[in-house]
Formats: sequence, structure tokens, C-alpha cells
Amino acid sequence: MSQTIKQQKQKMSFSQKLSAYGTIFAGIALIVIFSILSPDSFMTFDNAINITRQISFLVIIAIGATLVMSVQEFDLSIGAMASLGGVVSAKLAIAGVPIFVSILVPVVIGFVIGLISGAIVTRFRVLSFVTTLAMGTVIGGFTFWLTGGSTVFENIPESFKFLGQTQIFVFPLLSIIMIILVIIFWYVMAHTTLGRRFYAIGGNEKASEVSGVSINYYKTIAFALCGMLAALTGALLASRLGSAHPTGGEAYFLNAYAAVFLGMTVVRSGISNVVGTLFGAAILGILANGLTILQVPSFMQDVITGIIIIAALIFQKIGRE
Amino acid sequence: MKKLLMLFMGIALVAVFTACSSDGGEEGTQENASNDDGEKSISILTPYLSSVTTKQMVDEIEVKAKDNGWKVNVIDTKGDAGGLASRMEDVILAKTDAIVIVSTDPNQVAAQIKQADDAGIPVFGSDSGYIEGMTMNATSDNEEMSKMMTEYLFEQLDGKGKLIVLTHRPHPGVLKRTETLDALLEEYPDIEVLTEQEVEVPGPIESARQQMENLLLANKDDDAITAVWAGWDEPAIGAAQAIEADGRDGIIVTGIDGNSQAVEMIKDGSPIKATVEQNFIGMSEIVIEQMEKVFNGEEVDGTELYAPATLITAE
Repeated sequence: MSQTIKQQKQKMSFSQKLSAYGTIFAGIALIVIFSILSPDSFMTFDNAINITRQISFLVIIAIGATLVMSVQEFDLSIGAMASLGGVVSAKLAIAGVPIFVSILVPVVIGFVIGLISGAIVTRFRVLSFVTTLAMGTVIGGFTFWLTGGSTVFENIPESFKFLGQTQIFVFPLLSIIMIILVIIFWYVMAHTTLGRRFYAIGGNEKASEVSGVSINYYKTIAFALCGMLAALTGALLASRLGSAHPTGGEAYFLNAYAAVFLGMTVVRSGISNVVGTLFGAAILGILANGLTILQVPSFMQDVITGIIIIAALIFQKIGRE
Repeated sequence: MKKLLMLFMGIALVAVFTACSSDGGEEGTQENASNDDGEKSISILTPYLSSVTTKQMVDEIEVKAKDNGWKVNVIDTKGDAGGLASRMEDVILAKTDAIVIVSTDPNQVAAQIKQADDAGIPVFGSDSGYIEGMTMNATSDNEEMSKMMTEYLFEQLDGKGKLIVLTHRPHPGVLKRTETLDALLEEYPDIEVLTEQEVEVPGPIESARQQMENLLLANKDDDAITAVWAGWDEPAIGAAQAIEADGRDGIIVTGIDGNSQAVEMIKDGSPIKATVEQNFIGMSEIVIEQMEKVFNGEEVDGTELYAPATLITAE
């Protein structure tokens, strides 16, 4: 009897492992397929570096989404926030403000707007979904007013492009910033009180409240950090492109959540986590990069990407049952 | 095991899609572009494939390139400038033979244009603008279009009349058109400008319609207004609607752009009598022509080349 239970246990853990690492297998398989089909272009050191730079924006903005999702909330304003961050930093750079300040100001603005969203959600107990959607509209309107709807690029000083276009040896500064942020937020989430509180609230809000955790405080902090990272993403994007488009960040909004959800399938517990998010963003980045190199038409790229996300979610669900 | 199987089925699906679409199923997986046995591979990139005119240009370039026996890869990033930059890097790494950016401000991908230039890959623009590092850009000449339209209008008026100008000077293209009008007006002293009105954007049709209604009320005599010159088609449509509703005859309205609603109104005998159609097909043809030259090792004809526009009238 106990033998069979033990066996079952082992079997369970095998299938769970499979589901847990299914997404990772898929990621490795993608790399193998692309390498076989395009050994000269895909499987090169240059392209590996290229991919890390391309996914850096997605990873940074998705870390913010990871934090908000860890407390079981959503922030739908991150795309608009990134657009605003880009436009504000570009405008400041044009005005002759030092580059450090022109990045810092939008980051602070993002933090403050996040605080406001978080405060509204927690104090009035309204749905974060709707609140942040409305906040995104407000931010978008503000950005449009700031730019008159046109791309900001004239007279951007060369120094502003430092963060986005510099290489240290062969490594893009953007990739290095991404890795540093991943390490910081991985540490915060895994090894600090803040991270543990986030997960505790996300796991069981009532229980956390009863045990004296200030739900409102921690949730608000999660929104503020999310806003901050979104604005930073926008500023870095503007630095890389040498221009800021009033809707330039929108494209990262859905992809950020796709990365977070893919990341949730990487761990057995199925909760949002920073390393998983990095992995999810990497899969999306590798797909976009590899399929472009293979000259797959963009509509087919969308189809393939969507199918892979759905498949990952299904595998995880099966694995957990 | 079942899961593992499903996983591999999923991956196999991707592989099949990739293999099928990377080559149209013609020949294996040798997609790599830089083969010197003559087969060229070009990449067309745009963030605005959903726009009608952009799609028209992309399709035309694609068809013509395929006629030349080139392989074509069309990439749309759905309004995402960052994505456009990333995809451009990808095709540069894949050693594509040429890049065409369509309806894109090249300043947004300035770093990638430089990267392509360093890699010896020519970058062409179609209705995009020209910056350093690109090979050339094909676009419309606003000055020429305005000249064509304005001269036609002044001919219709026999060189004399009372003109209303509906424009929007903050827009660089419309500004150029309006400045061309200003210059031509100097040559026609008998054409008097009653007033110049700034049309509000967005909502130019409604804005122009209201302005025209007011101007019609203010100038009630039959020949008090003889023509309306609009900086682009939408205000022309609004002005024509106001004139039609008022039942006034003998006022000629003109626009510029070749907007399909305006073209239809011209054919239906509305007060809009003419417009100038931007030649998007022509831009595509220029891009292909110049690309052929580059592939043959020749020089391009210029960095900013204009596709000739066509005058559209009721005839």
C-alpha cells in the first residue's frame, strides 16, 4: 500500500516536472530548430547579443507587471506609461537637461502615477483592471497633449542615445541594465520581506490581513514600482531609437503580460516570478528574431507566437491536475 | 509521456509552419540571402500595413520584386517603432540584400540605418523621407502637386476671380502646398483672396463645412465667391458639402491627395472639380527601378526622387 502511494508520488512528480520544464524544453527546442534552419544567421554570437538587447525593454516592463501580478492585481496602463516616459525623457534631453536627470524624472513620474493608481485601487477597493485602464487613457491623453501627436526627434542630443546605443566590449549597455534589474528584483522577490509580503498577499489576502500585513501599503508599492519600470522602459526605448513616439510603448503592454504568463508556466507553483518572466520574454524575443531571420511572414509569426503561449498555458494546467 | 508527445507535436507544428512559409515551399531551407548566384532577397518593413496607401505600396513593391525574381519578406510591426528597429536588425543579420522602409519616419530607425549601411545593405524609402545612410527615398513632391492643382484652377477661372483658401499651415506638407499657392498668386493679380482660413485638425471636414457655411452667408452675391482652394481633400469635401446644401452654383472647389471620397464626388458632379492624386504606385516603381540600379552596381538617380502625381477631373 505505502509502496503504491510512494510510486504514485514519484510518478506525479515526474509529470509535474515535465509540465514545469515543458516551457523550458520548448524554448530549447526553438533554439535548436532555428539553429538548424539558419546556422549562419541565427546561431551566431552576434545574434545572441542582438536578442538580449531586443528583449531588454520587454523584460524591464514585464518585471513591473510581474510585481503587480504577484499581489493578484493588473496594471493595464504600462504601455501608456512607457510612451509617456519616452516622450518626457526625450523632451527633457532636447531641453538640454543632463542625461541622468532626463531618465530620472520620468522614472519618478512613473513611480508617483503608480502610487496614485495603487492608492485608488486599495483605498476605494475598485478593480485594478478598470482603474488602470482609465489611468492609461489619462496618461495617453497627457502624452498626446505634450507632443501634439507627433514623434519627438528633432534636436535630440547625441548624449541622450548613450544608454540605448552604447556597447561595453561586445555587450550592449541595455542588456547589462536588464540583467542588473533582473538580479535586483529576483533578489527582492525571493529574499526580502517585501517580496515575501507580495507573495503572501497574492496567495491569500485575507490571511495576510489577519496576520497584520498592511495590504494597502504593499499593493500600492507594487503599483508604484510597476509604473516606475514602465516609465524607465519608455525612456530607454527613446534613447535607443533616438526618438519618442507618443504611442511607442503600447506594443509592450500585451507582450509584457504574455511574458509574465509564460513565466508562470516555468515554475511549478504557477505564480508570477522574475526569472520566469525573463524566460517568457526570451521565448517571445527568440521567436520574433528567429522567424524574421527565416523570413516567415509577420502574420504567420503572430499565429505561431499565439499558439505557443496557449500551448504553454494548457501544458501547465494539465501538469498541475 | 502524452504531454511530451503533445509538446513535440507543438514544436513540429512550428517547424512545419516555418519551413512552409520561409520559402513558399519551393526549395528546402537555404533561406540565407547573401548567395551570390544572382538570387536577391529583399525585406520590406513598415509599422503601418493596416493603412490603405501603405498596403498599396507594399503590395506593389512585392509584386514587382517577385517579377524580377527576387525573394520578398514583408514585415509589419503594427505601429511599433521599437519593434521595427528590432526586426530591421534581424534582417541585417540575416544578410538581406536590400531593405525598404515604407511610410516610416527614418529618424526612428536611424541607428539601424547606420548599421545596415555599415553592413553594405542598401536602405530604400517609400514615402518615408531621406536621412544620411539611406540609398534613396521616393515620395510625392508637394510643391509640384500644388502647382499642378493651382494652375488648373486658375485656368478654369480665366485668371480672375475671388478665392477662399482653406489650409492648415502647421502641417509641413500642406504648408509647402500653400506657399506654392502664395507664389502663384503673385503672378495672377486678378485673383483676389477673400480670406484664408485655418481648418481644424482633427475633424477637418466638419470644420471646413462650418467655415464655408459662414462664408457663404457673409458673401451672398452670386459671384462674390468664385473658387475654394483647399490644401488637401478633406476641407474640399466639407466646403463642397456646404455649397451643395446652400444650392449655390458657379463655385469651383479643388483639393489635393486623391482621397477616394473626393474622387467619387468629382465623378458625381459635385462642386469639387479636381484633385491631384498622390502616386503611391509610382513611388513603388521608383524604388524598384533604383534597387535594380544598385544591384547592377550603378549609381541611383538621386536621394529624393518624386513620383509624378496625376490630376483628376470629372472628364
